[in-house]
Amino acid sequence: MNSWNTPGYRGGLPGRRDPVQKRIVAMSIAVSAALLVIVCQLWYLQVLEGGRFQEASDKNRIRIRPIAAPRGILFDRNGLPLVDNRPAFTLSLIPRELERDPDKRDATLGRLAVLLQIPFQELVDAVAKVSSDSFLPVRIRRGLSIADMQKVEEWKLELPGVIVEVEPQRVYPNSRFAAHLLGYVREASDEQLKQGRYRRGDMVGQTGLERLLDEFLRGKDGGERIEVDAMGRPVRLVQSTEPNPGAQVVTTVNRRVQEVAEKLMEGKTGAVVVMDPRNGDVLAMVSTPAFEIDRFTGAIDRDAWLRVMKDPDFPLLNRTIQSQYPPGSVFKMVLTAAGLQEGTLTPADRVHCQGEFPFGGRVFRDWKKEGHGSVDLMGAVAQSCDIFFYGAGLKVGAPAMTKYAAAFGFGIATGIELGTERFGLIPAPKSPRKGKPPVWHPGETVNMSIGQGQLLATPMQIARFMSAIANGGVLWKPRLVQRIERPERGVVWSDAGTVNGHVELNPAVWAFLRQSMWAVVNTTNGTGIAARIPGLDIAGKTGTAQTIANSKSEKGQDHAWFASFAPVRDPEVVIVVLVERGGHGGSVAAPIARAIYNAIFFEKVASLDISG
Amino acid sequence: MIVLGRIDRRLLQNVDWPLLGAMGGLVILSATTLASLHIGRAGGNVAFRQLAWFAVGLCALVVVASIDYRRLVRLGPLFFLLGLIGLASVFVMGRSVSGARRWILIGPMSVQPSEVFKICFVLMATWVLTSRWAQPVGKMTLALTAPVLVVPALLIVKQPDLGTALLLFPVLTALLVGAGIRLRLLGGAALAGVSALPLVWFLAMKEYQRERILVFLDPFRDPLGSAYNVIQAKIAIGSGQLLGKGVAGATQSRLAFLPERHTDFIFAVFAETWGFVGCLVLLTCYALLLLRGFDIAATSREPVGRLIALGVTALFATQVLVNVGMVTGLLPVVGVPLPLMSYGGTSMLVSLIGLGLLLSVRMRQFQ
Repeated sequence: MNSWNTPGYRGGLPGRRDPVQKRIVAMSIAVSAALLVIVCQLWYLQVLEGGRFQEASDKNRIRIRPIAAPRGILFDRNGLPLVDNRPAFTLSLIPRELERDPDKRDATLGRLAVLLQIPFQELVDAVAKVSSDSFLPVRIRRGLSIADMQKVEEWKLELPGVIVEVEPQRVYPNSRFAAHLLGYVREASDEQLKQGRYRRGDMVGQTGLERLLDEFLRGKDGGERIEVDAMGRPVRLVQSTEPNPGAQVVTTVNRRVQEVAEKLMEGKTGAVVVMDPRNGDVLAMVSTPAFEIDRFTGAIDRDAWLRVMKDPDFPLLNRTIQSQYPPGSVFKMVLTAAGLQEGTLTPADRVHCQGEFPFGGRVFRDWKKEGHGSVDLMGAVAQSCDIFFYGAGLKVGAPAMTKYAAAFGFGIATGIELGTERFGLIPAPKSPRKGKPPVWHPGETVNMSIGQGQLLATPMQIARFMSAIANGGVLWKPRLVQRIERPERGVVWSDAGTVNGHVELNPAVWAFLRQSMWAVVNTTNGTGIAARIPGLDIAGKTGTAQTIANSKSEKGQDHAWFASFAPVRDPEVVIVVLVERGGHGGSVAAPIARAIYNAIFFEKVASLDISG
Repeated sequence: MIVLGRIDRRLLQNVDWPLLGAMGGLVILSATTLASLHIGRAGGNVAFRQLAWFAVGLCALVVVASIDYRRLVRLGPLFFLLGLIGLASVFVMGRSVSGARRWILIGPMSVQPSEVFKICFVLMATWVLTSRWAQPVGKMTLALTAPVLVVPALLIVKQPDLGTALLLFPVLTALLVGAGIRLRLLGGAALAGVSALPLVWFLAMKEYQRERILVFLDPFRDPLGSAYNVIQAKIAIGSGQLLGKGVAGATQSRLAFLPERHTDFIFAVFAETWGFVGCLVLLTCYALLLLRGFDIAATSREPVGRLIALGVTALFATQVLVNVGMVTGLLPVVGVPLPLMSYGGTSMLVSLIGLGLLLSVRMRQFQ
């Protein structure tokens, strides 16, 4: 440290030092002083306190126990919890505390395997995955039964490095409650660990809102630093940090409506969307069959997983936004709007329907074999007369139809932030040959008029379309989350709703659309009569979408639609029901919607009679 | 060696042997410490690789020392650009180790571009400060150096490698002081920089990034992370006592209570094994090396040589002080290696290139 006086320094520098040289000397003195401080610290640590540290090193038995932070709770719009936490036992291994000798370690693991009937290989693999120096617990089984927990405690002395932790775990009102909406929570996968945001064993939202809001819902884990004696018994708590629970989320969902809708869809394959047309709030979102969310969360239940993966009905699919269907006769409302606004249709147009529509060397048929007789536009909507709309479609034309479909949000993402959303499809004109300008095939236009052919939409898109009719043309981005609150900081995020589309129509056209949909439900030969509730003016449209592969098969192979809103004068609720391969929209989907309206407007929770 | 053949004999007379002696001493201490750790399947594997890298680095040192440093500084912008590309490439083809993308693979080697960048930074900063636009040294000079600091600092923070990014500040400060900037101006700039921090904090950073910084400032916020390292390092150092436990007795290190024990926390291993006396030897080596570096800067008679020597010395000094300060519990935990001691090929190579630059300045000081 006294190289200062080496001959090189002064010898190389005859004469006076310039100011910068003085500065460099000052810097070297500062660095020397800093080194001296370090030497003092070393003197303190090694000489003055050395004995104490020697002791600490002799029995270096400081253990770390993480304390998992409870995930934030999701509430419905009325403050009822959609999901909650309860303490659960987790079996963990602490690599650092396992026996260092491989044979002794395997003996411990073998004992544990026999005790709790866990495959031995699983334990070995879990230990092999992490560094043997790690103090962080490796989670083996979550949701341990009390009996198993007691077994481990009894054998504690024979099982060094094995512990039972208490961790908060998700609980749901019932096994499949809002499974697609909430999503399941799982230990971070290897893929997610690579991103570096998570530690091994962290619980991470994998789908639905749990995934979307994971950053908010996950709290900050706390921890304890414990000194233990040679036997591994805790002697002293050195330091402890409380866990910080995650943020609370207030959703737009109405738990009661969600439950009612789920109950009604039990045993059926399909989707229900309940929306507030005034602001795009999603009140309920049901997709069936649902997966057992409680078995998917936390402990990895191999059986439940395999069953779901093998299920031909794809329970993991959120049918409200990830499945697209031909909209069927629901699309007639787009055609009606287009025709009236463009002037190609008038309410006075009248057709005599005999059940057949010969066109282009082909006969297009009505869903009702014998036909509807003489119908005007209002009657055609109410009775869903296909023959009327085949002709109307040709009059209005495919370009106008697709233009209005796009305006009403067909073929475009609704913007809901919940996993990958499908966009649906509006057909485009095709070139007959390469290089020729694209043209519409008239047969396709006829098909499109009743919502068949290539046209596809998700139930969420249909709900948004219905909301636009109900509220006079505003397309809301479906809203799921109202606000996020942290206990100590109040609201940290909120969403006032976003409009992401607008449809301009003549007020008379809006009035006609609503009135004709009212007629669907409230006139004697309307197709949606099954949804009628005396005392509530429901407007709706039925749809029976033929699946392409089964266009000629019997009833029961068609998708049943019912898209509706109420009350018709000042709409508060939009309900869209889709039952896959359910049959007629009027007889299958409409009664489900009716029961949901009943529950919303008349509080008749107990009587869920959907027979009529 | 063609390069050597051209070297003027007078140059060889001015080789700084004390500097090289300090370097040799440190590398020997490093290799023996690493050899005692038995990391990897074959014991001594790490020590052997460290020595192999030292050999490679020694070649680099000779090449760098034989080139006139003024030619290297003239290429400063090019090195700087290459360094930036290296930093950016980490995001494209980087290899992620425990959440940080700091390495890229070149053939069979993994290289840490932020290490290489340290030298590029010194060259570029010297180039800027000695360029004619920077004269006279004043506000304009500060404005010119700001992007040289900020652009790479942002890229490195993104990796995230906060330690390396923070190193750039003292190095640049030392260079500005050495370039003769008025201290009041420098203080003003530092004050302005500090007062801009809250803006960055609240506007530009996400919550988890803020959390990361808070943990960095106060390791006890994260009870499972860095606080543990510090406690274990203190136990290791303290239990070494006056004379150390010797290789066989160093249980803290050998039983792997110490994390990162062959890289950032190697000083703790050394202190446990050789005690206070050993630490004095080690620190004397560093003191010798640093004071020779300052001496080379002070005796250099032209600004380019002075600044390059000062920059390299400041780089070494900051790394040594921050690393040892962190391991002994004087400073918060930052990922900064101990030059010449910590295991790491890129770090070794870059340290020796830096020493090569110092030698180059010393050898040409009387021309």
